[in-house]
Amino acid sequence: MYDKTVRRRRALLILLVVLSLLLLTAYFGEAPSGRLHGVQRAFLTVVSPIQDGANKALKPVRDLFASIGDTFNAKGQRNELRKQVSRLRRQLVSDQAEKRTYRELLALYHVDQLGVGEYHPVTATVVGKSPSIWYATVNIDKGSSSGVRVNDPVVNDEGLVGKVAQVASDAAQVDLITDSTMGVSARIGSSRITGVVQPKLGAPNDLLLQYLPANTQATGGEYVVTSGTIAAGDESLYPPGIVIGQVSSMNEEGGYTSVNVRPAVNLHNLDVVQVLTAARGSRPARLAGTLATLPSGQGSSSTTAPGEQLASTGAGG
Amino acid sequence: MSALGRVAALGVAVVFFQIGAVSEVPVFGVNVDLSPLLVVFVGLLCGSMIGALSGFAVGLLVDLALLQTLGVSSLIFTLIGYWSGRLRELRDPQAALTPLLVGAGATAVSLVGYSLVEFMLGVDAPVSLELLRQIVLGVVVNSVAALPMWAIVRRALEGALPEDPRRRRRRRAYTTGGLSPLSRG
Repeated sequence: MYDKTVRRRRALLILLVVLSLLLLTAYFGEAPSGRLHGVQRAFLTVVSPIQDGANKALKPVRDLFASIGDTFNAKGQRNELRKQVSRLRRQLVSDQAEKRTYRELLALYHVDQLGVGEYHPVTATVVGKSPSIWYATVNIDKGSSSGVRVNDPVVNDEGLVGKVAQVASDAAQVDLITDSTMGVSARIGSSRITGVVQPKLGAPNDLLLQYLPANTQATGGEYVVTSGTIAAGDESLYPPGIVIGQVSSMNEEGGYTSVNVRPAVNLHNLDVVQVLTAARGSRPARLAGTLATLPSGQGSSSTTAPGEQLASTGAGG
Repeated sequence: MSALGRVAALGVAVVFFQIGAVSEVPVFGVNVDLSPLLVVFVGLLCGSMIGALSGFAVGLLVDLALLQTLGVSSLIFTLIGYWSGRLRELRDPQAALTPLLVGAGATAVSLVGYSLVEFMLGVDAPVSLELLRQIVLGVVVNSVAALPMWAIVRRALEGALPEDPRRRRRRRAYTTGGLSPLSRG
């Protein structure tokens, strides 16, 4: 009797471990359009209304705990914001003059610029977030039925949040800018030098602006924004000028400069976001479509291998 | 309702509560993760077989709901559930701090296990002090959440356990006068 129980217990453990390993291997090896990914999307479609309901029902609980945390940070934030307001006020005056000049130059040289006007923002509520430090993703309650497609940029009132990674009919998964698969072409404030913003390795909540020339200069607090560059082989998925974060410090190593960036968006407390969807045939839609057709790991897969990461960066930025 | 039914209902409720509310509230920059705590406490109360089964099911649910790599959470939670079940079957620890220590252990195994699997799958993230800090903070924060979680799991499963350790202890005290047969002799 004892032997039978022991055998049954061990057999169950082995069965479950083998099943897990089979799932892992099959999922990791298949393309994002594969069967297991499809099952996952179908499951998300089914549970999305439940998640949505739970999200709304639990909002007071969430707000209560969030407000306790916010109170601790409020004083420091207020002082910082006061300084920021006075700095921005001065900056606004000079920027208005620059903006006028910039528009004139654009018209003069017919610069091909991707504007936000080409996008149709779809407002969505965040209904789920991974607790793991390894998955910087959130689930939202809008999907393909609302026009959301893979690789659509996602923003909120604070700045760039990420991009759509997987879409079900009434839900979608968004890779946050701190996800290891992300790469966004960006520039520092008013400078013309562009680099690529990627998550800082080993620091899941920080970003790193990389591939900058050695003589790049940046001061702490300067804004890092999406470059929106349009040039052969360097097309950006994101509209230009969306705030990504602020410069916190600089690093110089072996002739390359990189800049540490503190994300502008509070990625821990996302509630409402906007997905910038694009009309069929428009440039943003074509760009997203091209990216979606790239082989697994280069476009939007959450399982990008290290060797593929740079390709993903070039295409995704 | 049977123990398995209660575990299933509790698993679904905890996973959705985790995804919908708990994950949205960072504590010292990390999130409380109730899933490993649920699995380890189910194992501690119900034994290794139900522990392993619930670990697999909760892991699968987490991976499906969050569109994570299928199988990673299932593998780690299966091992956690089995381990805690064996702990109950072999040692049956009764100390007041047991849930806290077991919860901390399960969280550490979960976080380190995730890290190892992710490294093996090729995620480009070297071991750094920041990563270690996140893991240590995660263990500390989850340890704080372990005691209330233990109370909830125990309350939810009360009466449906295959052999409640408390009931067994009471029975032993009743039949032996609270002493072991050796000391009585």
